[in-house]
This record gives sequence, structure tokens and C-alpha cells, in this order.
Amino acid sequence: MSKATMTADRDAAVRTTGSTGPRKRARLPGDGMAGYLFLSPWLIGILLLTLGPMVTSLYLSFTDYDLFNSPTWIGLENYEKMFSDPRWLRSVQVTAVYVVLAVPIKLAAALAVAMLLNSKRRGQGFYRAAFYGPSLIGGSVSVAIVWKMMFSDDSVVDKLLLGVGIDTGGWAGNPDYSVMMLVLLAVWQLGAPMVIFLAGLKQVPRELYEAAEVDGAGRWRRFRSITLPMISSVVFFNLLLETINSFQVFTSAYVVGGPNGQPAGSTLFYTIYLFDRGFGDYRMGYASAMAWMLLLGVGLVTVFLFRTARGWVFYSGDSGDKR
Amino acid sequence: MRQRVAAPGKASGTDRVRSVAWHVGVLLLLAVVLYPIVWVLAATFKPSDDIVGSLELLPSEVTTANYDRLFDDVMGVGIGQFFWNSAVLAVLSVVGTVASSALAAYAFGRLRFRGRTVMFGIMISTLLLPFHVLIIPQYIVFQNLDLVDTYVPLLAGKFLASEAFFIFLIVQFIRNLPRELDESAKIDGANHWRVFWDIILPLCRPALITTAIFTFIWSWNDFFGPLIYLSTPDKYPLPLALQLFIDETSGSDFGALMAMSMLALVPVILFFLFFQRFLVEGVSTQGLKG
Amino acid sequence: MAATLVAALAVTTAAACGDSGTGSGDETKVGPATLRFSWWGNAERAELMQKAIDLFQQKNPEIKVTPSFQEFEAYWQKMATETAGGNAPDVLQMDFAYIREYSDRKALYDLKKQDGKNLDLGDLLPGLKGAGEIDGKLYGVPVGGNTWGYIYNPALFTQAGIAEPKEGWTWDDYRKAMATITEKTGVHGGGNYVGSYYNLELQLRQEGGLLYTEDGKLGFDKARLAKFFGEGKQLVDAKSALPVEKGVQIKPAHALESDLIAGDLGWDNFMARYDKGAKAELKLGPVPNDHADKQGQYLKPSMLLSVSQKSEHPAAAAKLVSFMVNDPEVGKIFGANRGLPPTNAQRAAAQLEGPLAAVAAYEEGLKDKFGKTPPAPPKGAGTLEQAFIRIAEELQYGRISVDEAVNQFFTEAEETLGS
Repeated sequence: MSKATMTADRDAAVRTTGSTGPRKRARLPGDGMAGYLFLSPWLIGILLLTLGPMVTSLYLSFTDYDLFNSPTWIGLENYEKMFSDPRWLRSVQVTAVYVVLAVPIKLAAALAVAMLLNSKRRGQGFYRAAFYGPSLIGGSVSVAIVWKMMFSDDSVVDKLLLGVGIDTGGWAGNPDYSVMMLVLLAVWQLGAPMVIFLAGLKQVPRELYEAAEVDGAGRWRRFRSITLPMISSVVFFNLLLETINSFQVFTSAYVVGGPNGQPAGSTLFYTIYLFDRGFGDYRMGYASAMAWMLLLGVGLVTVFLFRTARGWVFYSGDSGDKR
Repeated sequence: MRQRVAAPGKASGTDRVRSVAWHVGVLLLLAVVLYPIVWVLAATFKPSDDIVGSLELLPSEVTTANYDRLFDDVMGVGIGQFFWNSAVLAVLSVVGTVASSALAAYAFGRLRFRGRTVMFGIMISTLLLPFHVLIIPQYIVFQNLDLVDTYVPLLAGKFLASEAFFIFLIVQFIRNLPRELDESAKIDGANHWRVFWDIILPLCRPALITTAIFTFIWSWNDFFGPLIYLSTPDKYPLPLALQLFIDETSGSDFGALMAMSMLALVPVILFFLFFQRFLVEGVSTQGLKG
Repeated sequence: MAATLVAALAVTTAAACGDSGTGSGDETKVGPATLRFSWWGNAERAELMQKAIDLFQQKNPEIKVTPSFQEFEAYWQKMATETAGGNAPDVLQMDFAYIREYSDRKALYDLKKQDGKNLDLGDLLPGLKGAGEIDGKLYGVPVGGNTWGYIYNPALFTQAGIAEPKEGWTWDDYRKAMATITEKTGVHGGGNYVGSYYNLELQLRQEGGLLYTEDGKLGFDKARLAKFFGEGKQLVDAKSALPVEKGVQIKPAHALESDLIAGDLGWDNFMARYDKGAKAELKLGPVPNDHADKQGQYLKPSMLLSVSQKSEHPAAAAKLVSFMVNDPEVGKIFGANRGLPPTNAQRAAAQLEGPLAAVAAYEEGLKDKFGKTPPAPPKGAGTLEQAFIRIAEELQYGRISVDEAVNQFFTEAEETLGS
């Protein structure tokens, strides 16, 4: 497959995006039943385990529910209250800043590391495990302790910063920098997107690079016109999932900043506030409303990403059929 | 990338220099990345009271007391039991998740049926709701089924493909596989199961391996699920055992906590090291594509 | 599905609102039973609990106890979920700050029904009698008590050339001592004074007031809070108190444990924890007071045991509670792990050493000065304490002024206590 055919394929993919031509129905007439059969575990799961609790939480979002007594219907009150709740507004702001910073930095770093490790060299397994290591310890208290230590007054990072003339007195105790500290924690734990990028890079047929090299394409050129388009589906996956996950950042922030978002509310992320409302203050109705508000917000972002994806995400297998 | 392109047997001097440079560069980067982990590891050999707030990397006096304390039974439950419980949960989770997610992903990625778009949307939307508000309704479901304090609530979702993340991940890979493959198989008379089993599954192995790795690690580190659903200490997995060392009201043993986090890392690292090899040799689609 | 769930929420909670789970029969008759017993604590406490439970089962072969434990925060998350799901344990460890939260919502059993039958309350220390009683009903029995005290490093006092705190020192003396020590030794004189809700409570009680009134309202006005915040802010600005960013950085350790301050006001039984961590030798001293006639301190139930309203075996559960509170062997097993033992028999049996002996002596000396234990804090008190801590932190960071802090707190108090 040459560059030319690839572009042609991609054009085809773009052209057929969203098209509902009659052609589709004509092919593979037996799909119907098979589809439901293959989907049956998921269907049972969604009906039994997921949909019920989801709809219940939607219902609860219109009630006053303290976990102990029966919920009482209060209509839109929870939703209205949010907009005059300073802590809610703060949590939205803190989370937005975090998403905007963490997602691109983490993805760029993960892709860079994945490309670095996507070659046949000695000790590749070791290197991958080593870069994955930070993600393996997850969001435990040990992480909170070591991370605060890293960014305390007089710590390694602080000394380095002082060396270049930046005096913050330690990020861990400085509300202006604490979000940045958590952004770096997310970047440090880049294992998940890195592995997914690696798996994606494996799918890129080698011949493309060979052909490109013959054509005299440079490194950057090969990255731009072969690697990126060929792993675009994986880039999209990582972008979407990291965005969704960043909006819901919880564990690492909770172990570092606690339910109050220390210091001074600067790490009061959306889900932390939601959790505190639900399980700290026993206002599960309000927490549920917050959850659905988040679903609405992130849902819009998701739809937006899916829309733009049509322009830049390329699936080799989708030349004839696209959802 | 570079290495691949180079023709085999052409190992020149420049290549060797490049290789050394590569290793040195990666090791330098690793030194930065692993510094905190090395700190934790070193901290496990410090006296417990010297850990929090300490900036030094190396312990001023080396002690193994933190590890020794791990091997005391807690209410008759030994550390081996916690590891075993975690392993059982993680392995069953991997089996369930990989199987059920692959099935669902094939349906979403390759098959056409009524309601697919809507169901795909529902699937994605399950990613968007913070799980904290779902805990109580879910708990009531399992409570009414009398399944609380068993592993069923922790595993049911795994076998029923509740983790949309993995379905979507595998879908993205399946959609990247050339369609001609399954169509030519169809022409040869293969049914959907054969196409799925013989063609799609082997080709999206990197995605399945990724799914297995993540499921293992997430299950291994999961705290909230076991916290809510398990009550009997001899059923506790490691993350619940970790909190045996911290309690703000009765005192925390940071040394034992960190020693335990380090020990708990070993199985996951081994699991990762073993399975990541399958990521190395992704299946080239070239031969099949013809 | 969702409808069923909503119905289940209603049913679970409705059932909780009914009378005792036993329904028919004699509620005080102990029969064969399996009791679920949950508490918060670390491995060490679990070990002690196991010993106590074994002893209980030995003496009551018809009752089996299945234990479950988590650390403090996780414990309350699990407890909330289990209670909401109608699956609360039979016997549960209770915090003074949460008891009204749970009893107001009809999650707890009235132990008065077992008093004198399976439950013996006669030997409780005077200060702890009546704690856990709300509106004439008994929702929890204290298993340990503690009181507010001043824990300090005497060496720094000596180094700064000032006398160690003694009975009758005033709040002004306290502030001066902090400033002098900071100035003379370079070690911060005190900890997070302004962020401690109980410092405010102590001052209110010394003035004859209360943190919360009997009917669950705030026991102080804006001016009083402004005074407290203002004085605290001065300590912060003068750097006599540990800078807030330092306190945040060393969390979850306490400044006394890390030898960063000369002394701090806090619960007396934390002495053991701080003493274990600190390099310096620590002492427990009297709290400052401007009103010689009122000490302000009281014996607070550091934890209680409650029985779930839904328990099918309230009699057996009461028996377990009674055993945990009265049995001298249990007192010996726990020592001061749950706070100092709640009954005379257990106090006599407990063998306390080192810092814990100091705590026991401290409380013994205060025995006749203790004031009445306040009523259980109102519903939402836990939330409000968190708000206090958070607002005080913003104040220390200089993100808000004293007036703004006061207004924020009162707004949140109105929202939390008003509903």
C-alpha cells in the first residue's frame, strides 16, 4: 500500500462518514441476530447492573436524599443550587484548568515514550516496565507521601527551581502550584496511554515506512504522514478517554489533597466535591445532580470530539462502512 | 522506528553509537521518572518515624523492621491470604473482561444490527457518570440478591462487559483491520464465530493484551469495590490490607505501609513483564492483506 | 429495574423507621445469634479486638461474632452505604460527631430497652454517664474517653528561658510563650491554633458557653468568631504558629511528631502517638484559661458502641457492648487503645505505661474539674467542622480576610444546620 492509496482510503473514509446509503443494508444480511448474540453479555450487564443504578441516580438528582430516609422529590432545586454554590463553581474551575493542562501534556509524553520504546533494542521489556512502574502503584497513600515529599520546601524539585531563580516555597503547600503538582503526577503515571500507543504502533505495517524511506521522506515527515494517520484511531481513543478520565480525576487528588482539596481548596476537583457531598455530608441527591451535570458537560465534549474525529481519524477497515 | 528500517546485517559503527546513545538517553529519563519509586523503596528501610516529611533519599540507619511487621497475622489472616485473594480476583477479572469485551467489541466494530448506534452511545455514556453515585443503587441490587460479602459483585461486571473502556479500545483496533479479510473468509463459508475466532481475535492481540494488563492492574489496585462489598477480613484483597497500617485516629505505620506497597508491586510488575512481550511482536497485517 | 431500585430505597429506609427488627417476642432474651461487629482502626486495634472477641465468645458460647474493620474515613463510607442498603452491622463503633447523624435518621437502636438487663451502665465514669443519650434515648455507650490538653516539648521552654505552663496560665500567657519561643529558639511556638474547632469550643466553655446549644444551634455569634479568627491570624502573621504551607506539606504527619513546633493543644491521648514519633521528650500540661472558676474541659467519649436499629439480635448485641465496656480483662487488653477505659473496673485493670500513664494521671488530676459533657453535636456537625478547618486554612493563606471567613462560616452553618 503506497502513500497514494492510503490517502485514497482515507478520503473514502471521510466521504462515507455518516452516510446511510442503501448499500450498507444490502451486505451481510445475517448480521442482525449475530450482533445481539455477540453483545449478549454486555446487554445483560447493562440491563442488570448499569442502567438501573444510572436511572436511579438520575431520579435521585431530583430529590433530597440523605442515604437513610426515603428520597423526597424536590424537582430542579439541586440543579439550581449548584450555580450559586461557590464550592461547586470552584470545583468546575479547578477541574477545567486541570483537564486543559493534564490531557495534552500527558498524551504527548505518552506518545513520545511509546515511540522511543517501539523499537527492537535490548532490554525493551525492562524499559517498558520501568516507565509503566509509576502507574502500577496507583493512587495509594504511599504515592501521596512521596509526591508531597518531591514538591516540598527544600526538596529536589524546589532546589532545582531555586537554581533557575524560581522560589515557590514548595509546590505542595502553595495553592498556586498544587494543581500543577497533580498534573505532573498524572504525567508521571502515563503508563496506560503509553501501552495503548505501543499497541497501536504495532498495527502500523512496516512496509509503509520502507516505502517512505525509499521516497526520501525524513523522520518528521514519516511521523506526520504515516505514523500519525495510521494510529489516529488510537490517538482518538486516548484523547477521548484521557479527557473523560481527567474530568473525573479522583483517587490521586484525594490522597494528596483530601476531601477539602488542600491546600486552600486549590485541588477541589469536581468528583472530590461530589464525593464529599454524597458521603461526607450525606447529600446524595445533590451529589447525583452534580454527577448528571458532569455527564452533560463531558457528554458535550465527547460529542464534540467524535464530530471532529470524522475529519482526522482514519480506520483502515472502514472503507465501506462507518457508523 | 529507526532500527526497523535499517536493513538486517548492516550493523555499522554508527548504528552502535546510536544504540549506545539511545540507551544512555532512556536511562537518564528513567532516572528522573523512577526517582520517587526509588525513594519509596529506600523509605521502606528507614525507621517508620523517619519517613513522612523526610527529604533524604537514603536511610540514615537501615532496618528491615518494616518488612518484618508485614508477616504478623492480622486477626489470624496472614499476608499470603491477602496476596492470594488479590490474585484470584485479578485473574478472574482478566478472564471475564477479555472474553466479554472482545465479544461486544466484535459486535460494535463489525456487525450491523438495529439499535447499534444507540447502544454504542449508551455504552460510551456509562463512562461519563462518576461511579460514586452508582454505588448505593448497585449495592442495593447485590444486597437484595444476597451477594454482599462475596466476590460476585466484584466480578459480575467483569464477565458482563461493564467496562466500556475496554470494549471501546478493542473496537478501535477491530475497525483498523482490513475488511477484506473477513469478507474473503465469509465467501469461503465461515460464519461469524469463525471470523471472530480465527481472524479478528488473533489480529487484535495487542488490544487484548492491553486489556488483560490493565484489567489485572486495576483489579489489583481497586480499593473502593472491595471496601464496599467485602466485610470479612479473610476475604480482603491487598488494597484493603494496606489500610491496616493507616488510621488517623489510632496511629499510622508508614514504614509497614510503604513496605507493603512495594511488595504488592512485585506481582504486577511480573505480570506486566510477562505479557508485554506479546506487545513486542504485533501481528503484521501485511501477509494477510496480500 | 430503576423503579424497583427506587422502591427498594424506600422500603429499606421505611423498614428502618419501624420499631426494632425483632418484631415479636422478648427483646431482652438472649438466644443463639451471629453478630456482625464493625469498627475503625489499624492492625494493632484489630489484634486487641480479636482477643476481646475471643474472650466474649468463650463466655457466651451461643453468640458468634464476625468482625469487620476499616480505617476511619473508609469506615464511614462503608457504613453509609451499608446503612442505606439496609445492611448495617449489628454492633458498630460510633463517633461522637456522627451519633446524632445516625440516630436522627433512625439507624440506631435505643439501648435503654436493654439497660439493667443485658447492659450494665453502673460503673461508667461520671463524666461519661449520659454521653450517647439523645432525647431520653440511649444510642451509644462510650468505650473510651479523652479530653483537650496541651502537649509540649519542655526543653524548648527551658531554652527560651520561660517557665513551663502551669495551672492558671492564661491565653495571653500562651500567646506570649509562643512568640518568645519562636523568637528565641527558631522553632515555631505552636501549631494550627486557628484551624482547631475545639480550641474555640474550649474558650467558649471557659466563658460559660457551648459550641452548640441544646437545640442544635451555634453557641456563638459572629463577633465571637471574629475575635477567635483575629487572634489566630495574628499568631500566623507573627509566625509564632507553624506556617500553614508547612503543615500541609507534612500531612499526614503532625508537626509535634516531626519536631517542628514547641507545643500544641489537642486531645490528650494523642500524646502517645506524638511521643512515639517525636525525637524530643514531650509532656502533657494544663490548657490556658482566663476564667479560673471554669476549667472548660470535659471528658469526651472518644468512641462509642452503638447497636443498629435493624439488628435481629438486640439483646445479644447489648451483651457484647456491655462486655466491651465493663469486663476488666477487656480493659487490660486494650489499655488506652480506645482512649482511656470508660469504667472504673477497666481503668483499674488497664496497665498503662509511659506517655499513657501520663495521660491517665492527667485525667485523674482533672477528675473533679471536668464540666458536663455537652449534648451530642447536631446533625451536620461533622460537615461544619470540615468547613471550619477549610475556612481557617484559607484565612491562614491570606486568601480571605477575617470578616470574610466569619461570613463564610455562618453562611455554611445556616445551610448545614438550618435544614
